[in-house]
Amino acid sequence: MKQMKMSNLDLDLFYEKLDNGLEVYIIPKKNCNNTYVTYSTKYGSRDYEFVPLGNKKMKKVPLGVAHFLEHKMFEQEDGTDPFAFFSERGADANANTNYTKTTYLFSGTQFLEENLRYLLEYVEAPFFTDENVEKEKGIIEQEIMMYEDNPYNKAYEGLLYNIFIEDAIKYPIIGTVESVRSITKQDLYECYHTFYHPSNMFVVITGKVEPYEAIKVIKEVEGKRTLVEAKPVEKKKIKEPTEVEKGYEKKKMAVTIPKLSIGYKIPLASFKNVSRRKILHYLMMLFDIKLGPVSLFQEQLKKEGLMSTDFAFDYIDTEDYFVIMLIAETEEPEKVIDLINQELSNLELSETDLNRKRKTVISSFLFMSDNIYSLNEKAMSNVIKYGKVNCDDYEEIKELNISEYQKLIPNINLNNHSTYIIMPKKGK
Amino acid sequence: MEYHKYENVAYHLHTIKTDKFKTVTVKVNFKRKLEKKDITYRNLLADVLLESSSKYPSRREIEIKTEDLYNLFVKSNTYLSGNYMIMSFDCIFLNEAYTEAGMLKESLDFLMEFLFHPNVVQKRFEKSNFKIAKKALEEQLNSLEDNYGRYSMYRLLEEMDKSAPFSFRSIGYLEDLKEINETNLYAYYESVLSSDLVDIFVIGNIDPEKVQQLFLDHFPINTLKKPSMSHYLQPVKPRRIIKTTKEKKEINQSHLLIGCKIDLLSEFEKKYVMQVYNFILGGGTDSKLFHNVRELNSLCYSIHSTYQPTSNLLIIKAGIDASSYKKAVSLVKKELTNMEKGNFEETDIEKAKITYLSAFDELEDSPSSIISTYISHEYLGYDMLEERKKKIHEVTKDMIVSVAKKIHADTVYLLEGGEPDEANEDE
Repeated sequence: MKQMKMSNLDLDLFYEKLDNGLEVYIIPKKNCNNTYVTYSTKYGSRDYEFVPLGNKKMKKVPLGVAHFLEHKMFEQEDGTDPFAFFSERGADANANTNYTKTTYLFSGTQFLEENLRYLLEYVEAPFFTDENVEKEKGIIEQEIMMYEDNPYNKAYEGLLYNIFIEDAIKYPIIGTVESVRSITKQDLYECYHTFYHPSNMFVVITGKVEPYEAIKVIKEVEGKRTLVEAKPVEKKKIKEPTEVEKGYEKKKMAVTIPKLSIGYKIPLASFKNVSRRKILHYLMMLFDIKLGPVSLFQEQLKKEGLMSTDFAFDYIDTEDYFVIMLIAETEEPEKVIDLINQELSNLELSETDLNRKRKTVISSFLFMSDNIYSLNEKAMSNVIKYGKVNCDDYEEIKELNISEYQKLIPNINLNNHSTYIIMPKKGK
Repeated sequence: MEYHKYENVAYHLHTIKTDKFKTVTVKVNFKRKLEKKDITYRNLLADVLLESSSKYPSRREIEIKTEDLYNLFVKSNTYLSGNYMIMSFDCIFLNEAYTEAGMLKESLDFLMEFLFHPNVVQKRFEKSNFKIAKKALEEQLNSLEDNYGRYSMYRLLEEMDKSAPFSFRSIGYLEDLKEINETNLYAYYESVLSSDLVDIFVIGNIDPEKVQQLFLDHFPINTLKKPSMSHYLQPVKPRRIIKTTKEKKEINQSHLLIGCKIDLLSEFEKKYVMQVYNFILGGGTDSKLFHNVRELNSLCYSIHSTYQPTSNLLIIKAGIDASSYKKAVSLVKKELTNMEKGNFEETDIEKAKITYLSAFDELEDSPSSIISTYISHEYLGYDMLEERKKKIHEVTKDMIVSVAKKIHADTVYLLEGGEPDEANEDE
């Protein structure tokens, strides 16, 4: 196992790649009672067109299969219920699916070895029947309804749908009522065998853990498996255009105050000689400083009564784009859009502002490192985006400076954006 | 962990020294007897105090300062706890070992600035910041119905008993807000300083004596307070026939809530038996409700129960399709009856205890959770952690069945979603 210092965080990272391709990342934390273990496949809702294991031709599966599969992994052939297994050992278990990965997890303060072994075993033992697949549809439909009623979720998904053209990130993770109804047992098995191969999966453990003992357990479980060889999964190549699919949409929902959301689709290809991580930091700083609570701009909007709560920011990045979304509650969405775009016509930042932001980024890494859940999330997100857990964030952040930022300004392209407005159904 | 309680004349300072965290967390609680008309005052007051101060006359300047203090985080929370209402300020910052010497004092000074040096002109809160905070609260109250979870909970409690303190809305009321201005809110602020009971909790790798000295020097509250009454409300008699209320709303998913009233319980029942009972019934993804309503009948995505000890209530919540309403209610009732009949296993009890113990170990990893255990000890008379870990083992099946018989379904509330709306006009 390799051991690396995580800079400025008082933590060490242990890493090993097993013979079958499974990657294991362990970050022990001293003075901690709890352990958080995640087992993920690099497979999310976005991967719906690919060459299935053992086939040669590209295939499209219904939207929402990754998430459906996640629900169905809790079905075991011998009838045991993974939730019950963990609960009997005082652990909390769960799973989640996003655009780029699916994660099975538990956290607990006791029985680490037993729980870890079981986590691997149950995720490695799919059991789908026509009957249990049908049964799940009612539950997922209710889950869809829950999201449908949430205006923030609606705005988020609406924006992504309008911003992206080719990339399946435009579709909701959960799929649609129709696509979910069309999912079959065969779809699940095909996706399972293609994407749940150890060479496409990784384990992250944070908290109270002895790395050498944990890796021993993992090797023991993995050593018993017989698997077919697998090459890296061939997914459909996405050529995502710079433009947005649709620049403007208005929808009515049962809300009281209109909700304005704007998303900027910023191409990353034009930035040269600066690392991707740094560019993302600079772009986030730009929006935080220009429009966040430290800005004169936001203060002015509040004084004029145009909005009374802060903008909510959300970021998502794909290989080629950085998308930043902001949501505001305002009675005058059109006016606020104009003001935002006007404000963003000048991208200069002051050195004081940038240096202060840099300090907060360093601090936020320290806060993050105190929480085994955030730490695990960071590690997972790094593995998905960078193929490894970054240990040198501090060095990268420390180097952020105004002159480097200024050189980037000509390449920051904010021309491609989309607006999604949710208006109240009833007049007041 | 090393706990110390300083019983200063006008407030109690609780320090918890531990080297587990890179942060220091400070919580200042102001509490007084619950009065319905005061709730809105307290909500607005907390917001106004964090909107600006004498030294930092706008939110923007406050935000800049929090960034300068290495991303210090400050927030307020106003909530009800049985007979009391609590206004709480939380401040979290990095231990100065990770930033620079002197930051402990500077961070505490910053928190004191909000509490004791508000942006005030001649006994009135400064107009423009007051206006911003008032408008934000007004919008929040106006859009309460957009938050279906919160709204349906308030509605259930009101249907159970509109005059009972447990049904008061913790975020306040629009009609009360209209009455509040810069002057009467300032008067209310002065009364908070002079008559609220105050508890301060500080956790982190700190020197307790130094913290106590900082508070003695900078926390200018010095009126002697009366001893306090209990947080627990008296139990209310349940209805003989269950009351049902339905409210229509243009949403997709319906929200079903079932409110149960609980007879007078012993201290042990409240603090231990109910924890086990609730875990078995609807505590998580391995509960009776989750298995029988969600998994076996595919009726919902979410279902759980919560126990509210200070109000003697048990609330069951589920997100369902309107058409499954009757079936869902009858399944929930069946599970309640099963608990009364003792139709659950010893292994269910064991699981609940293991989860309870594990949750305690886990809680020691979080500064705010540690503070919460001291708060429930101070306010609600809960035992301290080590004691709780021992006593939970004393809970038996007979005890659970006996509390189950004291739990009575009282009110059913349904926020009923309509047909998939075709009038959905997209532009």
